[in-house]
Amino acid sequence: MWPSTYHAPESLAELHDLLGRYGADARMFAGGTDVIVRLRHGHMRPAALVDLKRVRELSGEIVQHDGLIRIGARVTMTTILGNELIRRWFPTLVEAAAVVGSIQIRNRATLVGNVCNASPAADTVPVLMVHGAVANIAGPSSDRQVALSEFFVGPGRTVLQYGEFVTSLDVPIPSGFAGAAFGRLIRRRGVDLAIVNLCVLLEEGRPARFAFGAVAPTPIVGADATGTLDGTRDWTDAADEALRSMLTATRPISDVRGGRDYRSAMLPVLSKRAWQTARERLARASNGPAHE
Amino acid sequence: MSDQLRYQLRVNGKDRDVSAPAHKTLLDVLRDELHLTGTKECCAEGECGACTVHVEGDAVCACLVLAAEMPGHEITTIEGLAADGRLDPLQAAFVQCGAVQCGFCIPGMIMSARALLNGTPRPTREEVQDALSGNLCRCGGYSRIVDAVIKAGTAS
Amino acid sequence: MTHTIGQSIPRIGARDRVTGAQKYTADLPFPGALHVQLVHLDAARLTIKKIRRDYAARVPGVVAIFTAEDLPQPMPRFGPAVADRPLLADPETRFYGEPVAVVAAETLDGAREAAMLLREHIDAEELPPVITIEQALDPASPLVQRPENRPNDPNARTNILREWTFGWGTPPDRAHLVLERAYRFPMVTHFAIEPHAFAAAPDESGVTIWSPTQHPFVLQRVVAACLGLPLARVRIVSPDPGGGFGGKGWPKFEPLLAYMALRLGRPVRLVLTLEESFQSARRTSARIQARTAFDSDGHILSQDLRTDFLVGAYADIGIRVVSKASYAACGPYRTPHAAVHARALLSHTTPSTAFRGFGTPQASWAVESQLNEAARILGIDAVEIRRRNLPRKGEAFIPGDTPADGDWEAALTKAETAIGWHAPLPPGRGRGISLGLKSSSTASASLAIVRLLFDGSVSVFSATSDMGQGARTVFAQIAGRELGISPDRIVLTMGDTAVVPFDSSTSASRSTVFMGNAIVRACVNIRAQLRGLASRAYGVPEDRVSVEPGVVRVAERQLTYVEVLRDGFGPPRGELVGVGEDRGGGFRPDHPLGGRPEFWEFMCSAVEVEVDSDTGAVDVTRLVLASDVGKALNPQQVEAQDEGAAMMGLGHSLMEELILDDRGRVRNLGALDYRLPTTMNMPQELHSILIENEDGPGPYGAKGAGEGGILGIAAAVGAAVHQATGVQIRELPLTPERIWRAIAQR
Repeated sequence: MWPSTYHAPESLAELHDLLGRYGADARMFAGGTDVIVRLRHGHMRPAALVDLKRVRELSGEIVQHDGLIRIGARVTMTTILGNELIRRWFPTLVEAAAVVGSIQIRNRATLVGNVCNASPAADTVPVLMVHGAVANIAGPSSDRQVALSEFFVGPGRTVLQYGEFVTSLDVPIPSGFAGAAFGRLIRRRGVDLAIVNLCVLLEEGRPARFAFGAVAPTPIVGADATGTLDGTRDWTDAADEALRSMLTATRPISDVRGGRDYRSAMLPVLSKRAWQTARERLARASNGPAHE
Repeated sequence: MSDQLRYQLRVNGKDRDVSAPAHKTLLDVLRDELHLTGTKECCAEGECGACTVHVEGDAVCACLVLAAEMPGHEITTIEGLAADGRLDPLQAAFVQCGAVQCGFCIPGMIMSARALLNGTPRPTREEVQDALSGNLCRCGGYSRIVDAVIKAGTAS
Repeated sequence: MTHTIGQSIPRIGARDRVTGAQKYTADLPFPGALHVQLVHLDAARLTIKKIRRDYAARVPGVVAIFTAEDLPQPMPRFGPAVADRPLLADPETRFYGEPVAVVAAETLDGAREAAMLLREHIDAEELPPVITIEQALDPASPLVQRPENRPNDPNARTNILREWTFGWGTPPDRAHLVLERAYRFPMVTHFAIEPHAFAAAPDESGVTIWSPTQHPFVLQRVVAACLGLPLARVRIVSPDPGGGFGGKGWPKFEPLLAYMALRLGRPVRLVLTLEESFQSARRTSARIQARTAFDSDGHILSQDLRTDFLVGAYADIGIRVVSKASYAACGPYRTPHAAVHARALLSHTTPSTAFRGFGTPQASWAVESQLNEAARILGIDAVEIRRRNLPRKGEAFIPGDTPADGDWEAALTKAETAIGWHAPLPPGRGRGISLGLKSSSTASASLAIVRLLFDGSVSVFSATSDMGQGARTVFAQIAGRELGISPDRIVLTMGDTAVVPFDSSTSASRSTVFMGNAIVRACVNIRAQLRGLASRAYGVPEDRVSVEPGVVRVAERQLTYVEVLRDGFGPPRGELVGVGEDRGGGFRPDHPLGGRPEFWEFMCSAVEVEVDSDTGAVDVTRLVLASDVGKALNPQQVEAQDEGAAMMGLGHSLMEELILDDRGRVRNLGALDYRLPTTMNMPQELHSILIENEDGPGPYGAKGAGEGGILGIAAAVGAAVHQATGVQIRELPLTPERIWRAIAQR
């Protein structure tokens, strides 16, 4: 009924070996905040629990190189909140990480774990997607990279095959001035899962990007082709139309957290509010010192 | 059934020997093996905060940590706060401010608040509310708990 | 001699709670106890066809598996009002979570595994459940209980468990305004932070049961009746609950555990998961149709209320919730004509039970909302309309019953001032006000024993349950006052029926009054005994001896209690045992509730909210509570209770609701999807005002408190949301989605 074994491999080689042996019967975890809950509810019954936290090649660091920020598999939400690089380049990731559960959850939950758990309502994922984040995946015989926009297959399902795991996330630093905003709708103020969440990224000279969560089987990201949402102008009727067009990709459902019509109605409300904030931030970035 | 594991945990400054199945959480082991029943079980899924303990001083839900992950870590429970029978100032403040009613949420509340005050000795009310937002209380209106944390902060 | 009455002395028991030393039921060791798990299935209404137990029986450490066919025939049944609930479903389950079998094993993991295997090997036929008020009233719906269970009941072939008619006066010839509306109150659950936990052990006297029950003597009689045991052979030990609110008042799985302990000859222990606790207890949900007639000045001419409460699969105490709340549903108002028709309806849902307010929050939601809407229509201020209808102190508002017993107008006025009722309102904000009135205990009884020990310290024995309201502290303060002793020389023993004397219950905000009076009388008795002792010890006639708290005057001498005890008993030593009792106004068989309310619990609630009209999100900017408490023996404890009750009220007003699917399964069991107020939902400002006129029947003029804070919150919030948005919603909770939908549909 319960997992019969617990393993804490100390190297990638050991980890690959364990995963090879157990195959579908192994379940990896780092923070444990999703996996242990699922175990308790009986939603999974793996034979082996594999703890990633002692694998020396899996980093708990956030480093900058080559125009991107690399976030290691062991980085927790709390670390994200306090990290100088994240606060400087991706303030919306700080905003999103700050609402993942409570402090107790954030002290354990990892960003990579949040992504791999693949909940359509994951708060950090729309932020990562609009910024073009890429997952670095290690496999038994080869490694690969998959953009987050391609990473999710369905609720709780990713492109990861058995034996594969994400070693880090790469998030490109915006090359020019940028303003982003994160928004979410919850049932009441406080710790909650999102009924709807989203992130807007406005970058000088590039199409506006919007990502939405909890309104489709996977989080979805899109760019505005019309140019009306790039932040250079006020919101217009054409902007309404452009947003509506992007929202056609969403498929909200009714569930215990919210009704379909409510979610549908809230998408444009929250999108517009987030867009206003992103536009103000873009203006401040353009007018202020180049790199604060 | 699960493998029976044997390991040592460092709890409240003491090394304790544990023998428990692989799937047991830190909460299970603290309560059932080490008989430290101050840490409470309520939702068992990290939503209520009743099982909050410290791992290296960070507040975590013991129900979401496998005990087997914990060898080599410093764990502190509510029983580890009062030294030599004297209450920690936070504990004393909870008593004085009338923050304690049925008391079941209190160990978790105090552990969350203690972690906050360790890092932010003079928090604002908003900071206290945010730090305790993962701890549910059903008896009170939370205001006396917030008062107690502020009071303990200014006292130290 | 100084005393502590009226002082907020630190709570007795707080130290143990802040250090983690306090032992709740699940913290107690039961060496050698078998671990029990309930086996319940994934639907509300199932007929069990076959249970194959061989897989489960093979799990190592499994000692017993009981299904209905292993229990005595006919199936033992229990219940505090009606003994209608079987120990195990037989053969039909009537609510989601009702156990069909039970497993006992040497280890908890073994019991869980066996329970899981048993669940997977049960053949059952699912049937459509009755889960709404409309379904329960539909004559075509299946019957929840067998008609044979109620042989002399004309409603036996319906899902109406019982109905009542209350009222007085004659309908008015005409009215300026007749407002007819329907209101709904949802299913909510207590969600005490301590899930239910129980243990039972046989011994040569009979059986001992550990349960954090609020009413040990109710549990004792219900178990005794179910198992055919004399009361004296059933011992209830009740550790302080980690929150009760009514959800730990009335027996749930203790009778089953007691049966198992006796049958197996071994202790047994069961700790429910939080989800199972949700499935075990809930508030009675309701639909209330109100037809209220007013004259042009806003005076109430008539209230016609149809109160339909969905009680659940078994009567539990939900049946009493309906009658008690409906009887006083018209609220604290002069009502020349009242007609209340109340129905308790059966359904395939969790048996509803007592829950803070005991039906009054549901009734107040309707009646107070009627007043608020009428005020708007008539152009009268919502505070003023209440002022015009409030009875004066001493005035009967329910004919022949306990009159208004407080200066209720003072509470209204103080709340009006504290909320800034007449101050300009920023955009997006609204204010609302309401009154709450709850009948306290009717016929009930409390006994207390007080022992004055040889060294002058004191033991008090009381069956009141200290579940967070601070009963221990208040009782120590009372005994301290009466005997002139510091509370730190007084020790309370509670919660063991083998040791403490009879008490009806810890409910209805009654304990400060009833048990408090009993303690006072026990102390008075001790003082009388001291008088006799001193008279004999010093050879002085009793009429020259007087006993006051802490002092005995013998002729011209002034002695301490310790001196008199020493001189009175001499070297063989001894103690004085005092017994006190309070039975209130007593049982009145002709009264619809069996007796008059001993006092009224009265609260004025006022609230200010800010609403985001685009999303429907509500923030409570200010909350004011003004309660008429007679005398606050420990003001901090009273305020803390009022605040907690109000927070609970905000819960059902803004976010709490059990969501059922059409198979009767609760979709939001547990903390993730059942939304409870947190530190992020605190009102920005909260003011608690206590009105103390020392006009209660309890010690030093005290009344009871603890439920007032929850009574009127919903109607105050509803009115505030209306002022902020223009929409009136008559069902709860007022979630953002519900508010958004109402605005969108306007």
